[in-house]
Amino acid sequence: MQNELLSELGQYLVEGSLTDVNVLQQTGQEPPLPILPDANVLKVGGQSFIDRGRAAVFPLIDEIVENLGRHDMIIGTGGGSRARHAYSVGLDLGLPTGVLSVLGTFVSMQNARMLHFLLAKHGIPFIEPIQFPQLPLYLAERGAVIFFGMPPYTFWHENPDIGRIPPHRTDTGAYLVSEVYGARSMIFVKDEEGLYTADPKKDRGAKFIKEISVAELSALDLRDVVVERPVLDMMQNAEHRRSIRVINGLVKGNLTRALDGEDVETLIYAD
Amino acid sequence: MTTQPEGREDRRYHIDSMLMRESLLDKDVQRSTEVPVFRMLPETHVLKIGGRSIIDEGREATYPVVEAIAQCLETKKLIIGTGGGARSRHVFSIGIDLGLPTGALAELAQADALGNAHMIGTLLSPYGVVAIPPAIFGHLLPLFIRSAPGVIFTGVPPYSLWEHPPAIGRIPPHGSDAGSFLLAECFGSKDFTLIKDVDGLYTRDPKQDASAAFIPEISVNDLRKRDFETLPFTA
Repeated sequence: MQNELLSELGQYLVEGSLTDVNVLQQTGQEPPLPILPDANVLKVGGQSFIDRGRAAVFPLIDEIVENLGRHDMIIGTGGGSRARHAYSVGLDLGLPTGVLSVLGTFVSMQNARMLHFLLAKHGIPFIEPIQFPQLPLYLAERGAVIFFGMPPYTFWHENPDIGRIPPHRTDTGAYLVSEVYGARSMIFVKDEEGLYTADPKKDRGAKFIKEISVAELSALDLRDVVVERPVLDMMQNAEHRRSIRVINGLVKGNLTRALDGEDVETLIYAD
Repeated sequence: MTTQPEGREDRRYHIDSMLMRESLLDKDVQRSTEVPVFRMLPETHVLKIGGRSIIDEGREATYPVVEAIAQCLETKKLIIGTGGGARSRHVFSIGIDLGLPTGALAELAQADALGNAHMIGTLLSPYGVVAIPPAIFGHLLPLFIRSAPGVIFTGVPPYSLWEHPPAIGRIPPHGSDAGSFLLAECFGSKDFTLIKDVDGLYTRDPKQDASAAFIPEISVNDLRKRDFETLPFTA
């Protein structure tokens, strides 16, 4: 019996197996719609930025305010030093990855609330994951929102390949927001010019990388990278957000140039 | 205790900890965090009841499963996840046709698994076993499981808009099988059982191919090597 309520794809899905590669391929034929194509997602680092206090944060807040009305900004926050402290105590207590991710969420929430207090007089709201359906309204009205960067996986966090620290943290959470909304850009605001061959804070011989593909980057097999590795893996499967930019937010004007679409500092792209 | 000037040579305020000033992306730092894990609920069993394979079949398939669970509840603590079944498949097909991305589909799928959790919760209510809303489930699980012989949750994990883009197509990769497994892992449950309408793993889909051979036991590595076209659970 032909069920006219179901499209051909509907029949495949209702009757077929979701582990069947042929069925899965059918689901990717139409490109997805960009939901917020004019929005830019920023991620403000925890350890690299907010932990520096007023000296780093105030100039960045000024630059965000200067861009209100020029660019829509969805602003996520990192965890930083307190997340590292909570992880190390949690590890010592033997807590599982899922619980560590709950602890990390609390710290990135504190940082989000702090940026929110500084931007409150401009009418910028802080939203939790449950309030994301209101995000388009806030963006249309005020041009920016703040959220905590941790993805809301909590007790359902996957174990990492190595060690116990949750692999999907605030870089990943912010990146996934840019991908799901089909945002115009994903900008990581850190305290380095972008990607180096080693941690430039520890290794003076570290070389700066201006532009690199995900494949070239994984071939380098660096001991340390500037963004969480899952972001690089996810970029290769992404339908919208196939490049990210890492900028040094301590340099005045960098954020504005990145929002204007200029080629500032490191670009990492999926081939 | 905070460390700063002199400790502020890098102009960041730190709290003293093993991970202070370390990049969490450094592979050596990651290796140093390989430590034994505390088990929160070692006496519990996690079950996942298939949406399409059991609940969608109605009374005929669901009642016997509920009776079997009721019997187990007399002696065991059960944490029961549910899948979304045919309604999730349907909303996926409409959502894909409308051009929605994976994260949007994952958000929509929550509702179907939650509906099924409430159906099973209705049938198990004489035993004090009910569906718990996802927002409080994780945090209050140890309390609920101490007070009742079992609890029901939506097996679909709360990845929603933050779902990972899949390698092929657009179906959210973290469905109710993955969600129930991850919960069992985090809480250190004794075991994890998928309740389906087939005896388990076959070399092919046994509903479509009578010559499919049953596999009573296999390692994850062997399973990956044999690269079966379909599996009775999501990879």
